[in-house]
Amino acid sequence: MSLVEKYPEEVKAIFAKYPADKKRSAVMPLLYLAQREEGYVKKESMQEIAAMLDLDTTEVASIVGFYTLYHDEKAGKYRMQVCNDLPCALRGADKFLESLCGNLGIKVGETTPDGLVTLEAVMCLAACDKAPMFQLQDGDKVEYYENMTVDRTMELVEALKKGGKEIK
Amino acid sequence: MRLVEPFLELMTGMMTTLKMLVTEKPVTVQYPEEKKAVKPRYRGRHYLTRYENGLEKCIGCALCAAACPADAIFVEASENTDEKRFSPGDRYASTYEINMLRCIYCGFCEDACPTEAIVLGDNYELSFTDRRQAVYTKEMLILPVPQGGAPTPQVTEPGKFTRSVPEMKDPVD
Amino acid sequence: MAKLINLTINGVAVTVPDGTLVVDAAKKAGIDIPVFCYHPKMEPVGMCRQCLVEIGRPAIDRATGQPALNDDGTPKLQFMPKLETACTNPVSEGMVVLTATEKAKAGQKELLELLLTSHPLDCPICDKGGECPLQNLTVEYGSSQSRFIFDEKQRADKHVHLGELINLDRERCIQCARCIRFQRDVAGDPVLGFYQRGRLTDIVTYSDPGFDSVFSGNTTDICPVGALTTADFRFGARSWELKQSASLCAQCPVGCNVTFNTRREAKSGGVMAIKRVMPRQNEQVNETWICDKGRFAGYHYTEAESRLGLDAASMESALSQAADKLAAAKSDAVFLAGGRLSNEDFYNLKQLAAKLGAKAYLYSPMAGGEYTTAYGLGAGSNLGDLGKDDTVLVVASDLYNEAPVWHLRLKAAAKRGATLIVAAGRATKLDEFASFVVRYAYGDEVETVKGLAGKEKIGDAIKNAANLVVFYGSDGLGLAGTSALAAACADLLNGKTGKVNNGLVGVWNAPNTQGAYELGLAPAADLKSELKGKTVYVIAADPAGDDPALADALKSAKAVIAQDILATATTQMAAVVLPAAAYTEREGTYTTAERRVQRFYLAVPAKAGTRADFAIFAELGKKLGVELEGRSALLVMNKIAAEEKAFAGISYARLAEVTAQWPIVGRGDLYYGGTGYENKLGLGVHLALALTPAPSTSGRGGQMRPKENELVAVPVSKIYDLGVTMAPAKLLGQRIGAAAVGLNPVTAAKLNVENGGKVQVQVNGVTAEAIARFDESISTGVVLIYRSFGIPISEPTSVKIVVAEKA
Repeated sequence: MSLVEKYPEEVKAIFAKYPADKKRSAVMPLLYLAQREEGYVKKESMQEIAAMLDLDTTEVASIVGFYTLYHDEKAGKYRMQVCNDLPCALRGADKFLESLCGNLGIKVGETTPDGLVTLEAVMCLAACDKAPMFQLQDGDKVEYYENMTVDRTMELVEALKKGGKEIK
Repeated sequence: MRLVEPFLELMTGMMTTLKMLVTEKPVTVQYPEEKKAVKPRYRGRHYLTRYENGLEKCIGCALCAAACPADAIFVEASENTDEKRFSPGDRYASTYEINMLRCIYCGFCEDACPTEAIVLGDNYELSFTDRRQAVYTKEMLILPVPQGGAPTPQVTEPGKFTRSVPEMKDPVD
Repeated sequence: MAKLINLTINGVAVTVPDGTLVVDAAKKAGIDIPVFCYHPKMEPVGMCRQCLVEIGRPAIDRATGQPALNDDGTPKLQFMPKLETACTNPVSEGMVVLTATEKAKAGQKELLELLLTSHPLDCPICDKGGECPLQNLTVEYGSSQSRFIFDEKQRADKHVHLGELINLDRERCIQCARCIRFQRDVAGDPVLGFYQRGRLTDIVTYSDPGFDSVFSGNTTDICPVGALTTADFRFGARSWELKQSASLCAQCPVGCNVTFNTRREAKSGGVMAIKRVMPRQNEQVNETWICDKGRFAGYHYTEAESRLGLDAASMESALSQAADKLAAAKSDAVFLAGGRLSNEDFYNLKQLAAKLGAKAYLYSPMAGGEYTTAYGLGAGSNLGDLGKDDTVLVVASDLYNEAPVWHLRLKAAAKRGATLIVAAGRATKLDEFASFVVRYAYGDEVETVKGLAGKEKIGDAIKNAANLVVFYGSDGLGLAGTSALAAACADLLNGKTGKVNNGLVGVWNAPNTQGAYELGLAPAADLKSELKGKTVYVIAADPAGDDPALADALKSAKAVIAQDILATATTQMAAVVLPAAAYTEREGTYTTAERRVQRFYLAVPAKAGTRADFAIFAELGKKLGVELEGRSALLVMNKIAAEEKAFAGISYARLAEVTAQWPIVGRGDLYYGGTGYENKLGLGVHLALALTPAPSTSGRGGQMRPKENELVAVPVSKIYDLGVTMAPAKLLGQRIGAAAVGLNPVTAAKLNVENGGKVQVQVNGVTAEAIARFDESISTGVVLIYRSFGIPISEPTSVKIVVAEKA
């Protein structure tokens, strides 16, 4: 089902925000809309958005690739995105990530068997001074966790498991 | 006087000859029945080497041909696939020829080779009755498959040879 | 003329126009600044930081607003505390640039060290090795030691196929974005993009098929590393082993200058073989680009298995037989020549036909050459000069498919401010860049052009244009239609004839159709009836393969003599076959549709048992008592220059002349302009305008337009087809696709045809299967049939479409 069919009102509202000759600006909100239901943007949605905005599919895909808040693959309920760019790595992000993998029993890019947490390594999240850090995503809600240790992270995962934790 | 002096001189010389005849062993070698050992760094006819698993070391880069001052080497490369693999990297020499008449045995090809595939051996017995015979092809140059290795082309499992060139270490001598 | 700016680079005084970038100013002064991401044909982005230099500008005294002076009265210079990029800084008056100071050198050196931290040591097997900017700059500017640990290099995917034509090695990529920017800004096909960020940055394409652009090969030329390489040349040879032969692309009438890279090859039996096609700079024709058809299809047909050849004795007897047949036929002979022949071939052919009193026709699906010769582009014209106040009109042509490099150049002209008007019966890729798009129903071409001048804005753009260039093509038209269209287009150019950057250009389907017209050849209005009972001499054409009706006509001929490089349906039915040498195997000249005569040179030795076409004509002439020049193409050109007014003054020496071109590419500094070649063997010469009175441009029209409940098939062209020169290119096979017909969905609905569904097409007495493709932009009742896909179509004609039964 195409976006226009699924969310006719929303698409209309998004288009109304931008002048007709600058409609390509609508790409970001449309992508949010596209990943609302399944948590990721399908290739068909990218193609549809590209056609709507007179862009090339590759240009739309580039935007999905650039931002950590857009995804093109299905994942668990929560996405745990650990930054391991240079400054974070210097503050131990690599080791943190490695040990987190061991504790969760998965590799980077994989989802825990219960489908709860997907662990990802991402580029700069602009919190270099507070590494090791990650952002936790639940749908379009995001929360930063800074100066983290593996123990505290595992506590967080337990809390998520029990459902006793809400992401703002 | 006139007669004795030259005779004495002749005798002195002959004495040295006679002495050598008795005390020194002959240096003449009865080639080809008997062959003389060459020095360790002697540069003779080339051969192309293999890895222990039988894959060829040559990656067809043609740097030997580029380094050759006599333009004696000709290389043509092709791409390896997992179904038909000759060397561990992406590329192998589908044609490798050395014209032994042009070769000056300088060993530059050996120096240029990034994978130590071409090596100058100690074979100096090169003779031809035809110019074409002097062109050694890859089949003539390559060493036989070592014990435990498989002949090329090999069928290899996908994902095993993913590098463009095999891992290389600085040569040790 | 822009204001001139004076500056000093490394102590050398340089004067350049305002707006020039420091890196270009240095280049003009002969000083090289290393670059990776900067390319003279694209906007600077300053991404790679390799061009770091020290830049000092005259300091301004803040109190007085006047330039501050040193104690000795010289202007005081203010240097930035850090190095600056030479590619993003435009020059300014009094600027002092230092590119080789210790500080600048250290910056350049360290940048290279950082780039190499993640670059693999693939040089021995990399196709770019030997002509690699990163390799060259490392040797020139870099350090032989790295402080980083080799074993900790980043590993990434090494075999990514961006489609079947271009391979990506992610490890080698240095993220300069030249390829992405080329596709977006120069080609207008933004099918490449960055994905992810930081060290995960990746080049991706989401198009289908992958990297869906006809300019994709150019990205491998401008890639400063071996990240993008072509599948065609993969491991073909090392760059230093290749010889360069200047030549031309013979796939379309643009006449792109190319260099064939050749080497001796065991696979080809130890003879020289062409290994790849590279662009050769000609800023007036193709700049530094070529399209994928030229690069990947280019020469492959000349080495196809179906090449003809005869041993010396058979050749001699074939020539005698042909001569006997022609002598017997005399004025009953008909010559039919395709646009692949060179000017020299056409000239000798014309002389031979004239002596026999026989008719000589051009075999072309498109007419109107009498107008392009009379109203063609004036000498000195250059599409690259078109800009503000100029107007370009493109009628009935899909340039992206028919002449891709013109598409690219007109897009650039529109960007420079030229008014681009695209009039076509369907949506074309050029529409996006056009100022005005005129959509007409197929059949209304001539009326549409006649009506353009009367339109308000478009009419003004045409009437008030400082320069007007009109391109007309054969999209949906046959001979009669293109002839009428050419007349209507020429009418717009009345009063501008012969002026620089003004004129009519025919988008032909062959490299030398214009040359044939300039030498007085033209297509026959009714070819079939011309052939009946005659002795037909077909050269470089395959009428029998194109159209069964023409095959029948040839069967009804008294005798058929065929001369070609490849075995075709026509050579199969010929009584005498004369094998010709391909253009890569001989010398000659082509006339581009822009009326520029250009030379091509011998690249590889002629295939055994073949002869150049002009030499075959001369040989036949000898037997028939006509003295023709057959010794060399140069001597034939001397005769042409002496006898044909349009060619007056042209000689091989003049055609080989080169003047300085900007940007400077192809020299030692491959990092600046890419690996395309410098032009050392001739930019070509424009023809003089034919002095004969221009043909009348009035009173023609009347096209076939579908009536109610009628279907009309019209011929259109696609870049990759199954034509003789295209089909042997194996690599492009996947992009050719199956025969297809284009339909408006409304038309299709009436026929119960689905998009992508199989249909049976009944046209010109042939029933063929094709895939239906919907195109909302075309008028109803019209069926687009692509030429050279096995369905014979040359003129608009009625057609029947039925849904193919499902198996």
